[in-house]
Amino acid sequence: MLSAHQAVAEPRAAADDGPCPCYHCGETVPHGARFEIEIGGESRAMCCPGCRAVAGLIAANGLENFYQQRTAYSERPVDAEFQLNDQYLIYDDAEMAQRFSQQEADGSVTARLLLGGITCAACTWLIEQSLEPITGVHSALVNLQQNRLDVRFDPEKIKLSEIFSRVESLGYRPRPFQASTQREQNASDYRRDLRRLGVAGFGMMQVGMFAVALHAGDIQGIEEQYQGLLRGFSLLVSSFVVYYSAGIFFSTAWRHLQQGVLVMDLPVALAIGLAWLASAWATITGTGQVYFDSVVMFTFFLLLGRFMESRVRQRHSMTWFDAESALPDAVSCRRKDQWVTVPRTQVAAGDIVLLRPGETIPVDAEITDGASAVREDTFNGEHLPRAVVAGNTVFAGTVNVEAALEARVLCTYLESRLAALQQSVEVAQTEKPRLARLADRVASWFVAGVLLVTSATALIWMQIDPSRALWVALSVLVISCPCALALATPAALTSAASALRGRGVIVRGENALEALARTTHLFFDKTGTLTAGKLTLSRVELLVDQTEAQVLAIASSLQRWSNHPISQAFNDISGTADIDNVKYHVGQGLSGEQQGLRYRMGSEGFCRVLCPQLPPAPSAPLYWVALCDEHRPLAWIGLTDSVRPEAAAVIDEARHNGLLVGLLTGDNSLQGTLLAKTLGMDTVNIGLEPQQKMAHVQALQEAGYVVSMVGDGLNDAPVLSLADASFAVAGATDLARTQADFVVVGGDLTAVTSTWRQARACRRIIVQNFAWALGYNLSAIPLAAMGYIPPWAAAIGMSLSSLLVVANSLRLNRKPR
Amino acid sequence: MDSLYLLIPVALVFVAAGIKLLLWAIDDGQYDDLDKEAWRILAPEQDEHIKAEENPDRSKDES
Repeated sequence: MLSAHQAVAEPRAAADDGPCPCYHCGETVPHGARFEIEIGGESRAMCCPGCRAVAGLIAANGLENFYQQRTAYSERPVDAEFQLNDQYLIYDDAEMAQRFSQQEADGSVTARLLLGGITCAACTWLIEQSLEPITGVHSALVNLQQNRLDVRFDPEKIKLSEIFSRVESLGYRPRPFQASTQREQNASDYRRDLRRLGVAGFGMMQVGMFAVALHAGDIQGIEEQYQGLLRGFSLLVSSFVVYYSAGIFFSTAWRHLQQGVLVMDLPVALAIGLAWLASAWATITGTGQVYFDSVVMFTFFLLLGRFMESRVRQRHSMTWFDAESALPDAVSCRRKDQWVTVPRTQVAAGDIVLLRPGETIPVDAEITDGASAVREDTFNGEHLPRAVVAGNTVFAGTVNVEAALEARVLCTYLESRLAALQQSVEVAQTEKPRLARLADRVASWFVAGVLLVTSATALIWMQIDPSRALWVALSVLVISCPCALALATPAALTSAASALRGRGVIVRGENALEALARTTHLFFDKTGTLTAGKLTLSRVELLVDQTEAQVLAIASSLQRWSNHPISQAFNDISGTADIDNVKYHVGQGLSGEQQGLRYRMGSEGFCRVLCPQLPPAPSAPLYWVALCDEHRPLAWIGLTDSVRPEAAAVIDEARHNGLLVGLLTGDNSLQGTLLAKTLGMDTVNIGLEPQQKMAHVQALQEAGYVVSMVGDGLNDAPVLSLADASFAVAGATDLARTQADFVVVGGDLTAVTSTWRQARACRRIIVQNFAWALGYNLSAIPLAAMGYIPPWAAAIGMSLSSLLVVANSLRLNRKPR
Repeated sequence: MDSLYLLIPVALVFVAAGIKLLLWAIDDGQYDDLDKEAWRILAPEQDEHIKAEENPDRSKDES
């Protein structure tokens, strides 16, 4: 009997030699992490308490099947410390709930939730299965295409906030689903494309059936009345298909023609239109050849190719995230000397709000009471918080890290600094340069060539045999039908995108693979992209005769009392037990006692108060924290944001392949320069605001370069959306993901170069496809021009050449060697 | 062979009905989520949560 674990189909199965991936999210389990849980009769390693909690919940509900069925790793759940339990209570308010839910006739309510973190179809099953057994929930239905959950429930028995919390506890990020024109547009485009495809498919079968009879008749002989009958009905069906399904090619081609642009749709429309016209003429006059089957089949395959391409892309399109959705919906506001939770939209300038530690600040506000520090990486990418006291201004979208604050609201969202950021995202979208598609560039001279050859053929045949001139010229046009040519790009792009999906990269941007293949400059953001985004211990300068371990143990036991980002660096170090009376001094540091001996840890000034002989901090560009007791200084502890281990290799590879690699960071400390030097990057720009990053990229684009950008934060969103090709890496904010062409799901930077390689391979395949399609046309056209090609041979040739193009494209889907 | 004059129009009526049915299904939203439906047929039974306890045993027996 096989043991249960062999039934577990693991995507990207763990190799025995490498580090073990987390069973839930697939990220590497850090050394020394002990988060294990039994699933399917086996102990599974987890990377963090968040993953363990989610996996535990899934197992406890008997839904372990999820792990066997899923085809991609789940996303790592958000750190629990930044989540407030009551943040969803706001949706119990009828007015708030009304924006995304509606009352049914039987008293139940249907709410629509947008879910972040859905990675595959098994996720939908997991969510549905864990919601439906809950008392009060009538039905739960997840739409994978739109990442949307429709849940119908009885408001008497269950509250909306419970549903939110439930979904969140499964490791997904729920938020109200807001209708937007963009989203509705996508949904209706999808249905429209499907309708066209379906009609073309039915038509193809029907016309194909008539065509078999007609071809058989060509060979065996057929009575004229039956040939006329079959042709007549073929005309009827194909006319409908051309009108209903192929209409889009005509309108697109015409629209671009009016602007003087030749696109791939033009040769397509010409081929379909002329072949149909010729066949219709042949049917009415009872002469010549009919090509109805080719017309309909061509339409169907072309629509199919494009449908698949857009589906792969749209499957993960998250066009609806904007900066505002990063803000909490619930705000603690003082009303009549009482703290009440109100929706953010109801907070007006002048209100006093309570900003709790760990919470994202919901509005631009001026602090009236309290002192704390805020992490403003949203705007400048800097991960160390800025100390703030009464009178300072804090901004919406930043995170309050240390202590509770009371603040007076300055303005509504629309006037906030975050809204300005969102605006630059929108500006960037319109300013993004449009790189001409390879297919469209080929199309422009292909059209010219075909028209030239056709007219030449017609002219020559006018001299030889005027009665055949029309038919030969038409057959040249039909033979040159660019079916393979038109399929060359969508087939290759679809294949490349699905291969990338299997390796944890989601392709979103139209044209992005082509742009990436042509990229000349590759820029990285620093914090969170090249670095892991959290502080780790780098160096300890001992000032006394004690071992490093002793000093660190004291430091660690002090830091246990803080939730400043610095304290994360000490998480893995075990402390000494006997330190007590630890106090947290906001913006300065920590103090504590060990058997009456007083300790201080924190900024230079703070420690000097206790221990005046503390020497100045070492000069190395690290973040230095002092530790001293009341008699002597103990150590300077240097912290740094550690570089991702694979970063050097990624940059090396990019540079070896002739890309110019640069660093664009909002952080203005020396560390950026140092980091770039260590990694061997070509250019460094530090201390850049989002707008300055954009200007930098724009200048290069105007000089004719193709720029790719890798980033993660809200502050990167504008530049991501401006760059020709862009990546959002591990843990990226939803806004950054929305703007990026590629979303790297795992935490691995090597995906950047592997995607780049794939893009190059994709471009090669597209060129090969073009070469083949053009070669085929070039050899077939002379034969057709001489009048040698019967319609059935043309049809077979066309199908075979298309098949070849598709097969060639599928090579992109193979595993890399 | 004269029956063709009747049979082909009849076939076309069927095609028209088929197309009509397909368009209705698309507009009804039945094809809105192709990924999930393709996967659902392979998914464990819908009333899985009721039989959650039996599950580990059953999967062992099958393997």
